[in-house]
Amino acid sequence: MKTLYLFTYLFFLQIGFLFGQSQISGIITDEKGIPLPGVNIFIRGSFDGASSDIEGKYVFETTLEGEQTLVFQFLGFKGKELSINCNQQKIQVESIHLIEAITEMNAVTISAGAMDASDESKAVILKPIDIVTTPSAMGDVVGAFQTLPGTSTVGNDGRLFVRGGDASEVGIYVDGMRVGNAYGTTAANVPTRTRFNANLFKGTFFSTGGYSAEYGQALSSALALKTKDLAIRNQGDLSIMSVGGGYSHTLANEKHSITLSANYFDLQPYQNLIKQNFDWERSPHSWDLELAAQQKIKKNGLVKVLARTESGGMSLWRPEPGKEERGILTDINNSYSYVQTNYRQALKNNWTLFSGIALSHNKDEIGLDSLQIHRISNLTHIKSTATKDFSDRLSANTGIEVYLHGYKELLPNKNLSRKIDETEAYLFTEWDWYLNKDFIVRGGLRGGRSQLSDQYWLDPRISLAYKVSESGTISFASGKFHQLPVDNYRVIENSLQNSNSNHLILNYLYANNGITFRSELFYKSYDRLVTFEGYPQDPQQLTNGGYGNAKGFDLFYRDRKSIKNTDFWVTYSFVDSERKFDQYSNQVQPNFAPKHNFSIVAKHFITNLNSQFGASFSLNDGYTYANPNFPGEMNSKTESYQSLSLSWSYLPKPNLIIHLACSNVLGRENIFGYTYTQNPNEMGVFESLPSGQVAPRFLFLGIFLTISKDKTANNLNNL
Amino acid sequence: MKKSILTFALIFMWITFVKAMDPVYEAAMQKQIQAMNSIPNLETAQQVTNGFIRIAEAKNEEWLPLYYAAYTNVMSAFRFEVNKDQYFDQALQWVNKAAEISPDNSEITALHGFVIMGKLSVDPASRGQEMSPMAMQLFSKAINQDRENPRAVTLMAQMELGMSQFFGSGPEKACGMARLGLELFKKEKMKITDEYILPTWGERDAEGILKNCN
Repeated sequence: MKTLYLFTYLFFLQIGFLFGQSQISGIITDEKGIPLPGVNIFIRGSFDGASSDIEGKYVFETTLEGEQTLVFQFLGFKGKELSINCNQQKIQVESIHLIEAITEMNAVTISAGAMDASDESKAVILKPIDIVTTPSAMGDVVGAFQTLPGTSTVGNDGRLFVRGGDASEVGIYVDGMRVGNAYGTTAANVPTRTRFNANLFKGTFFSTGGYSAEYGQALSSALALKTKDLAIRNQGDLSIMSVGGGYSHTLANEKHSITLSANYFDLQPYQNLIKQNFDWERSPHSWDLELAAQQKIKKNGLVKVLARTESGGMSLWRPEPGKEERGILTDINNSYSYVQTNYRQALKNNWTLFSGIALSHNKDEIGLDSLQIHRISNLTHIKSTATKDFSDRLSANTGIEVYLHGYKELLPNKNLSRKIDETEAYLFTEWDWYLNKDFIVRGGLRGGRSQLSDQYWLDPRISLAYKVSESGTISFASGKFHQLPVDNYRVIENSLQNSNSNHLILNYLYANNGITFRSELFYKSYDRLVTFEGYPQDPQQLTNGGYGNAKGFDLFYRDRKSIKNTDFWVTYSFVDSERKFDQYSNQVQPNFAPKHNFSIVAKHFITNLNSQFGASFSLNDGYTYANPNFPGEMNSKTESYQSLSLSWSYLPKPNLIIHLACSNVLGRENIFGYTYTQNPNEMGVFESLPSGQVAPRFLFLGIFLTISKDKTANNLNNL
Repeated sequence: MKKSILTFALIFMWITFVKAMDPVYEAAMQKQIQAMNSIPNLETAQQVTNGFIRIAEAKNEEWLPLYYAAYTNVMSAFRFEVNKDQYFDQALQWVNKAAEISPDNSEITALHGFVIMGKLSVDPASRGQEMSPMAMQLFSKAINQDRENPRAVTLMAQMELGMSQFFGSGPEKACGMARLGLELFKKEKMKITDEYILPTWGERDAEGILKNCN
């Protein structure tokens, strides 16, 4: 075969010498007629060819004869082929226009409502590493997002609050699969954290509205976390912290990897050492076991498994207004498990298939003095999607989802229980259409069905983005969103239906070389929110009688360039939110939606100290609360919330990190609201107690050691 | 049995013989390599890359033209004002294609690591964590595939030097590896003739690393 090939070659070469050569020349431009230099032009199957010059012109000779294929190739452009007849003469090829290929690198991205934290997209607001190095976040995924535009810090809650929405309005997903009870169970005024370790994820996508039709059941926001792909080496990670410790071991080769970890946390020694504001009977404590595994299938397939089980508890005395005793003993025990597996396979013809199943199980055992309450929640999420790229300009993502959900409340001492069982089904489709690389339109439709509410609904979504300059993009998003009420309301009133919300968002993003500026204007309407009579602890006559709106704007500036070795971002969000919900008979500003929200995060690296210093400062204008001593609902506001956090990460060796962090360094006594007596005292005054912080400060010290053959490994992610 | 081994050996020799005897390919490669070794500007770099790609397209059983095209792209990204990520990504595509033609090839693995090193250099603060172990992994894999590959050893030395500078831990390890690299380059030089078209680059990089050693 080889000889034959060689022979043919020589033969042609011979002919060339005998009969002379053809000279091929021409010109290449882009769509607009601008010459393209450096294009590779050649005859298929031969070495004959040339590169175009600065004027887009090319000329070369060939000894080949007859019908030949002339190929044009250029980085970033779609290739072209042309049939020519080589007749040993001068051949002038028609002028060729190459069309720029639309790729992830050069195409416009929709930034309305969207904040990417990944290494993949260029519209990145946060990098994955920022999640672990933001001082105020204390390693919590959600903590880092609280420094981003559109969010409010509610310091006594810890969950994400987006644009005047409550915490239940944020849907949390891991690899596209919903996570039930994503936050740890906690007592009132003791801030919680997300259950998942930040080091599981390679990227996150956080939306503050107008998000993809792939997500639903979240009126305000979707937080999509992407787990890591195959681990690349065997290693062990040991962590010793002021609040506990853990060990994680990874085994990996080129086909599969598995990470097993175990952690134990107990705040008892810490809280014994450092004075607390709260009257703890038993400090928060927990253990967890986690498994993450990845397996490559065939050429372009990947199966992932994530499993986690954990258990924890706490017990504290909660003083009551107007009383001198220790108050009510609140005792919480929680057990939680989450398992999910998903399979993604890229097929021929630009198809990608995805299937996943996720199971969440949560059990809370709550004791309020002698009253025992148990809450059990189960969620199964099954999902399949198919993505097809029809061309570099048109792609579609279509999927089907089923949710099986059960919720049960028990009063074991009284032998009482109530429960709901729900089946929801969804169909969605979303189409991306690039008119050119500077203009994209995305249209989506999501249809849903709830068995318990006996309701069908349809959510249309649309967004578009236009690149106005090399670094600037204007985008717009709008859509309809539905969400079923929270379990503890639905279990009382089964007939409650969806609340809904409409979003309108206008965004301008400037991202260039280490500098990002983002501004966004939004309007969000709410309808059919849940309202009731009485107190939140004992709601009566629940209906979908509420409504409201939220409007405002936010500004974000990030700079990694201007100051050497320094990275900082500044955020200001203005939210004007009014809603009739819960027990309120009028539209009020919710206590979780401060109007003015400001935060700044700065990190500075000092090379010769091998250290990164971080600082973050958060400020808002205070939380509304209802003071029964005055007329009206939500008639008062707390003083402004302020907190300064500092951190120091020290890397003495490649595989060792020492991390020290302190929240609220200045010890400001932040108040989040007040609790009042149900009845006035003899003087006719409702007595009150402020809801404050667990402790003036939280101090964290952690030592993270990585044991691996590869000495450069470190577990920076575990901070 | 013996006979069949002999036949096999003969066939094998014959194939290599024929392969080495493709004078058009060899000549084209030599010409491109010569051009590659003296690239003054981006335009020439582009021409050289294009030339290698033309050879690769015509001789799709050869890994070397793809290897050199990728290498030229990497060097262009380091030297000239271009969209670095685009150049590195393109190089990565060619490296992967080359690896399909010639699996377990130490040179290709080392170049793969070099491309990752390039991508890392675009944004070290955020990519370092993911990519620096990736590059290390590839270099040590390349060394395992061929302990005589001076480029794999030199690139590893480069990574080690970066680490030691960051942690202020002294460049001894990097220096040792760079010295080993230089010895391997010396060995390699004995094989080099005018017709030699396998990779030979990297000696200067090893010398550069040694400047940090006393």
